[in-house]
Amino acid sequence: MAKPACKNLEEIFRTPHGAVYQCNRANCFWLEFAGGISAFKASDFLHLKKQVEQIDVPEMVQNTARMADIVILNPFRSERCFVLTVTDVLNLRELLQGAKVMLDLNSMLYDCLHAMAV
Amino acid sequence: MKDLLRLRTSLTEEIETLLNEQIKVEAHSSSVYLAMSSWCNRNGFDNSADYFQKQSGEEREHMLKLFGFINDMGGRAISPEVTNIPQEFESFRAVFETALQQEIYVTQQFNRIADRCFKAKDFMSFQFIQWFLKEQIEEEYIARRALELFDVIGEEGTGRWEIDKQVPKIKYEN
Repeated sequence: MAKPACKNLEEIFRTPHGAVYQCNRANCFWLEFAGGISAFKASDFLHLKKQVEQIDVPEMVQNTARMADIVILNPFRSERCFVLTVTDVLNLRELLQGAKVMLDLNSMLYDCLHAMAV
Repeated sequence: MKDLLRLRTSLTEEIETLLNEQIKVEAHSSSVYLAMSSWCNRNGFDNSADYFQKQSGEEREHMLKLFGFINDMGGRAISPEVTNIPQEFESFRAVFETALQQEIYVTQQFNRIADRCFKAKDFMSFQFIQWFLKEQIEEEYIARRALELFDVIGEEGTGRWEIDKQVPKIKYEN
């Protein structure tokens, strides 16, 4: 999927399965994944990352029940509903964790640049 | 690019998680103290029952202090799930031994948080944690003194009755 056409969006992280953008105008993040794109406030974005990290992947793999093959996430304040297979969980986890590393890096750069400027 | 994370909160994910875990520890402690209070009451140790009920309230206040801090810093304070509260104890002495072990565990947790705050250069949280570390000096002292009463007074005869009478009088003066 191409980057959404908005000059305030900056790409934070991308994998072959999706991307995360930051909107500097609305102070939110856009998550592009599995053919859809949706906005999250910073706190909701971090909460989603935590939810995805808490999914018990080994249990999904080992459990032979059909219902164990997918996980459904309904993030608050979002119209998006994620229906994730094991592969999706791993891909989404990689995407969100990568984005978080980039955001942390941005915070570090801010710290350093501010220290230099003062 | 704006630093949206920093605009939202000054807590790192790691420190927020640690503080939320501590909320759970405090809530657990509060419930355990309440169970101890109930046990003491059932077994005729009225003063100790009051003492543990008071302790339970203090632990809850600690929990709320942590809760408020996380929210004030822009974080997400999580209301804890409290399970596995022991309702029975081996003896009057065992109640106080458990109380001391619990306080030692709480101290260890705060030491760990202080260490992580320091390493993460989160000095605001580090400063906030100081209050709890100071509080733990008193908490451990009182719990240890209470347990020592069992050796000093002895449990024979009216020993336990006397211990129960002395427990509320333990004060940390420094």
